[in-house]
Amino acid sequence: MRSSNFSYLVKQGVVSVWHNRVMSFASFCILMVSLLLIGLAVLISIDIGIIIGNIEDTNEILVFVDESVSAAELSYISEIISSYKDEFVDRVVYISPEEALASEREWYGENFFVLFDSIGENPMPSTYIVSLWDITKINEAVSRFEEIDGVISVSAPFDFAEILIAIRNTFAVIGLAILIALLIVCLVIIYNTTRSSVFARRMQISIMKHVGATNAFIRIPFFIEGMFIGILAGVASWGLTKLAYESVVSVFEEDIMLLQIFGISNVVVFDDIMWLALAANCLAGALLGAIGTVMSMGKHLKV
Amino acid sequence: MVELKNVDVYYKEGDVEALNDVNLRINDGEFVFIVGSSGAGKSTLLKLLTRERTPTNGRVFVNGYNLSKLREWKIPKFRRSIGMIFQDFRLIPNLTVYENVAFVLRVTDRSRRFIRQRVPYVLNLVRLTEKARAYPSQLSGGEQQRVAIARAFASDPGLIIADEPTGNIDPELSYEIVELLKDINKCGTTVLMVTHEHDLVKYFGGRIISLKKGSVDFDDYIGGNNEE
Repeated sequence: MRSSNFSYLVKQGVVSVWHNRVMSFASFCILMVSLLLIGLAVLISIDIGIIIGNIEDTNEILVFVDESVSAAELSYISEIISSYKDEFVDRVVYISPEEALASEREWYGENFFVLFDSIGENPMPSTYIVSLWDITKINEAVSRFEEIDGVISVSAPFDFAEILIAIRNTFAVIGLAILIALLIVCLVIIYNTTRSSVFARRMQISIMKHVGATNAFIRIPFFIEGMFIGILAGVASWGLTKLAYESVVSVFEEDIMLLQIFGISNVVVFDDIMWLALAANCLAGALLGAIGTVMSMGKHLKV
Repeated sequence: MVELKNVDVYYKEGDVEALNDVNLRINDGEFVFIVGSSGAGKSTLLKLLTRERTPTNGRVFVNGYNLSKLREWKIPKFRRSIGMIFQDFRLIPNLTVYENVAFVLRVTDRSRRFIRQRVPYVLNLVRLTEKARAYPSQLSGGEQQRVAIARAFASDPGLIIADEPTGNIDPELSYEIVELLKDINKCGTTVLMVTHEHDLVKYFGGRIISLKKGSVDFDDYIGGNNEE
């Protein structure tokens, strides 16, 4: 196709947005709301992932070491635990018996601690506090640590880990399902909205077919029109997403209790992903608008 | 050239045989009136000639294309070799007269330079140069049909098919429209005009094909009153 004719078709697509302004506005609004919902769904599911990740980070395995183990053997145990960093270990912190006792003293208070003093010697063992970067491997980690010479026992919060894994998996499935459902609903609504717009122009399509226009040639202006509306809706929904998301996050930030419960301090900051979100919104809007419009043309192209 | 060989068209919906063993041959450069009452098969014949449908049996040839075997993706190219004129004009309402005519040339991917030369030429031919910037809604029925004729002729097709082109315009303007089609025919373009206006047919004469109940009832030349 000649560039002059292509640019003519592009111009026709943009002009027809104005000619069919009522339907264009309806499509714009539907796309904008759909993209807003999709954007918020994506951001919230990312945030939930981050929050669960934060909770997982506080989930620690305690590796207790026999009191007869020498300093060299302690260092060897530390090396073995750290050697699993590629597989599941995130951080390894050594707590000496003295540090453990001090910690207990602080936790229980001086009055209660008289009981410990009556024992005479320090009952606390040397301990490694190990946090995992992949909580799903907690069982494997525990069995590996138990095999290390000098380790007397390993304590891990299996139930808590299982709950976290289940929550994360459930959120992942729900998030994906919501996203797919929103995309389908959006396409169906756009399809129905643009179908009436295309129906109003069926004569134009029929004329084009009779004078020998190819389906691709006929689709181009409609494609451009859908894309143009989609991009406008993408920009508008981006602004609304920013407003809505930042409002929700600020509610959490202002409430210290919620902040502590959800560990929300590390959630996505909209300004950090501003340009990426704008590009994604425009791209999604353009694709949804164009595909929805072109889908609704099918029947009218059979002339 | 248009040729139909033993063509039958059967509509499953309604159990109707629209055309029954039709044989026709229209040579290049001819001007033919196709007449017949409602349900005679005129519309079906036009649908065959524009490849809107294929025959149930038989073969249809138009401008060298075997339409019975024409693949879907070749239909646009075939349609560029014919010009269509409709009873209801079918002009694009939001395009000016100039743009409506230029539109068909854009579809056929003609250059901007060619369009700039060709459109004024055909608009002059149908005496609508002054109305080039007007929109269809600002024109009379006769003027709209002249735009449709200009559009059909713009790409210089070998065959023009006019489907009751005088059906929606004043009777006195009908003669002017047929005159215009006759002028185009003189340039070498084959013209096939479907009409139910017997007065027009009697006036202009020429080859007449009459369809009746899906078959060719009459196919011959008659003298026109305008030759007297």
